[in-house]
Amino acid sequence: MRGGALPPALLCGAIGLALAFAPRRAWLPSLVTLAIATAALAVLLIPRKWLEGVFLGCWVSVAATAATVHLPRGLTVRSAVALSLNAGVWSGAEVGLAGSRFDIVKALVCILLLIPASFIVRRRAPIIVKVVASWLIAVAVLAATLQFLPVTPGYLPDHLD
Amino acid sequence: MDDSVFNVNAIPQLSRCPHERVAPAASAAVALFISSFADAHMGTGLTGGFGSGFQHPLTGADHLLAMVSVGLWGAFLGRPLIFVLPVIFPAVMVAGAVMGMLGVPLPPVETGIALSVTVLGGCIALSLKAPVWIASLIVAIFAIFHGYAHGKELPSAADPIGYSLGFVLATGSLHVLGIGIGFLNHLPGGVRVTRGLGLFIAGAGAWFLYKALVL
Repeated sequence: MRGGALPPALLCGAIGLALAFAPRRAWLPSLVTLAIATAALAVLLIPRKWLEGVFLGCWVSVAATAATVHLPRGLTVRSAVALSLNAGVWSGAEVGLAGSRFDIVKALVCILLLIPASFIVRRRAPIIVKVVASWLIAVAVLAATLQFLPVTPGYLPDHLD
Repeated sequence: MDDSVFNVNAIPQLSRCPHERVAPAASAAVALFISSFADAHMGTGLTGGFGSGFQHPLTGADHLLAMVSVGLWGAFLGRPLIFVLPVIFPAVMVAGAVMGMLGVPLPPVETGIALSVTVLGGCIALSLKAPVWIASLIVAIFAIFHGYAHGKELPSAADPIGYSLGFVLATGSLHVLGIGIGFLNHLPGGVRVTRGLGLFIAGAGAWFLYKALVL
């Protein structure tokens, strides 16, 4: 099991952390873009053979999105919307290929991380958000790398399946 | 040979008495009740993978003390290392985990982990104010050993994403715990307590090192 809600949920969580470093006026257009892109890609028929590429894109996006918290001046409105569009595309594609439509809801709920993250940033303790973002980067890099490793991952059938 | 052995009609006679019928069924039920799942398939699925990954840094005293030490030493060093160290550690730990899964040869991992506990505990006990790059380098080197151990012990049937999520979150939480303990430094006499804790950690590390090298 590697599909479902987890990769898009982590991606939405990363967007939530990244938006905490963006101006407030960027929030609404970014969230709308994210929701529309996710929903559109989830219903689009994507070729099954793109599955590995979609997973890789999803994990690379989690790492890249979470890394933007370290930008010295944070995100601009345009970059926040672009990042949300990217997140929506990969989340929707992943759910469309390896999840159910209910997974979209579960994933989009993780955007609510924006609320505590922005509160913490405004309280001048952005370090907490940066540390959490570093955990997301670590998980995403590991998950992306696992696709190329000769281990027996849990999402493949093993000797008892 | 006694033909009754092969006599099918003899079979009902075996279960003529009620307790004789109940006994095998009861034995089977008890056996089912007290037996556990096969160990090879513990921790399967996303939640199982997360559980076994989360447990891994918490169940080994060496991992646990080293992770707390990273946060505590960061708290001693202040800005920017108080947050640089917990950011560097998981990033480099992942590189170590990948090396472990690939089976890349590394100097004895147990010795490296024991050394990390000793050195980090020693740095806290001595209240060592290392420059940013030296502190980052020390923590990064030790992160490779800890990541290597986590990666090497990834259960083959566990969900790898859940497992990595689990051990990264547990590691990060232990860093935060260490930073939290570091706030004792702001209290009167708190530095003595935290430096004493560093001494205890260094002593435990020396014991782990002794076990790794001698026993």
